Amino acid sequence: MPGAGLPGSVRRVNLEAEGKTYEPVPFDVDEARVDAFHELFGGPPGVPPTFLTVAEFSVLPHVIGDPELALDFRAVVHGSQEYELHRPLLLGETLTVFARLASIRQKSGNGFLVIEMRVTDVSGRTVAVTRSTMIERAASA
Amino acid sequence: MTVRFEDLRVGNDLPALARTVTREDVRAYADAGGDPNPLHQDDAVARMAGFPGIIAHGMFTMGHLGACVSSWVGDPASVVRLSAQFRAPVFMGEEIVAGGRVRSLDPETRTATAELWVTVEREGTTEFAIRKGEAEVRFPD
Repeated sequence: MPGAGLPGSVRRVNLEAEGKTYEPVPFDVDEARVDAFHELFGGPPGVPPTFLTVAEFSVLPHVIGDPELALDFRAVVHGSQEYELHRPLLLGETLTVFARLASIRQKSGNGFLVIEMRVTDVSGRTVAVTRSTMIERAASA
Repeated sequence: MTVRFEDLRVGNDLPALARTVTREDVRAYADAGGDPNPLHQDDAVARMAGFPGIIAHGMFTMGHLGACVSSWVGDPASVVRLSAQFRAPVFMGEEIVAGGRVRSLDPETRTATAELWVTVEREGTTEFAIRKGEAEVRFPD
């Protein structure tokens, strides 16, 4: 993908932060928000699997703003995404999101960060697992 | 129109789903998905990152892909795994087309695995906004 980090972004993601976990965060399968997804994307009724992105974004500010990780978010692009659903999400339920920096690698000057999140229900059962690969692009010369 | 597991064959195509990406859609997605990254809302920021203007969120394109899969199977709850690799950026006013093909079928678990993609026609060539996507769909008995 074209586009590069902003000039002057010389910071590099901290490889030592691999394995770090974050405080669990609640995530509501909010009906109005699910409706907004349906309005935008159409499709049959029910919670779309990609609604899990809302769970991820409930935690991402903590990851992005983590001084220990030192990610330059201005230079970050979304590389890939995976959702695994152990059961469908139910409208109105409140789930809990546990985030972990599953892997941090450096390749050709770019940083590759895999953020894994486990989404559990009130009984503690895993409902879904999400994996996002974020690429911190090398600063342009 | 949805499919029945019994009627599926390896190599079957998923019905392609096309849409034009507008600034309003992307703006609405930023709110619904909770992704405030200015790369998707502010042309100046997008230009500084090396793009001619704002680009759609990867998750916007994946949301569209998810709708393609859910519409095919008739119920988002049947999608037990969904993954995507983000490649080419998507610009405002462009048409994205989601598609896929059945790769394998497991009658024991009534599970179909499909390869997925999202294309965009740009200057006479087909670019892949999403490549190597995959869905695992479990059909009800």
